[in-house]
Amino acid sequence: MAAELRVPAGVDPDAVIGCRPVPWPHGPAQQFAAGRRAAAAALASAGSADRDVPRDPDGRPCFPRGFAGSISHTDHLAVAVVVPGAEAVGVDIEDMTVTPRMARFVLRERERRTLLPPVGVFTPRDLFAVKEAAFKAMNGAGALGEFLFWRIELSRSDDALVASYRGEPVPVWVRSEADLSFAVAIRR
Amino acid sequence: MSDTSVEVRQRIRELLVDLFNGDRFVGTVSDSVSLREAGVSSTALVSLLVAMEDAFGFEWDDDVQPEVLRSIDSLAGYVVALRN
Repeated sequence: MAAELRVPAGVDPDAVIGCRPVPWPHGPAQQFAAGRRAAAAALASAGSADRDVPRDPDGRPCFPRGFAGSISHTDHLAVAVVVPGAEAVGVDIEDMTVTPRMARFVLRERERRTLLPPVGVFTPRDLFAVKEAAFKAMNGAGALGEFLFWRIELSRSDDALVASYRGEPVPVWVRSEADLSFAVAIRR
Repeated sequence: MSDTSVEVRQRIRELLVDLFNGDRFVGTVSDSVSLREAGVSSTALVSLLVAMEDAFGFEWDDDVQPEVLRSIDSLAGYVVALRN
């Protein structure tokens, strides 16, 4: 597992990343704490004096005003991305195997045909992370109501994927490494 | 609670134990708590939904509502309703 991550190519240059390892025993409490430490590191790098990220009533992380951000973690690594001035940010890292059956569950036939090899360059795990990151960016304000992340539709654009739900598009960038996929969605 | 409902809940717990390689985590999750808030990742949730299709012999509707997937209780309720 990579100890550090780099933001995917093409992401807004103002985006700031924080990474922290999840200590043993790698449970939900350790993952949560590592996520908050990663967020504090990203906020510090972004110039925010406020580095606390409490939970809102729905359990979502509440970043300081003007510093939109998002947190994700695996069992062993937590990552946070902050984009000053953005409306919303969504981040996801995935290290789990996404089986063909799971891919059929979360990806539409058109998405599998056009975005997975041999036509596309993305792995099922990449696209899973892309949808989850887009969901976080779209769902941050709760304006679209409650929905399931796999209902988001993906299409290609020049330097990013575009995720859409109910006519609301958000660009998503993904970095694929051997042991994980790292996706960042930013709403302006 | 009917015997069927108890059996379905138990089977869902068994699927979760398989997914998490043991019951250390699953044993801390009550039937009514939000699985996501308890720490079940999106990949684990999708794995569970796929495993439920095999275990209970159905396919999830495309328009299933998010609240159905919230907890062991709500998942079991959906399966029991299908069987009835």
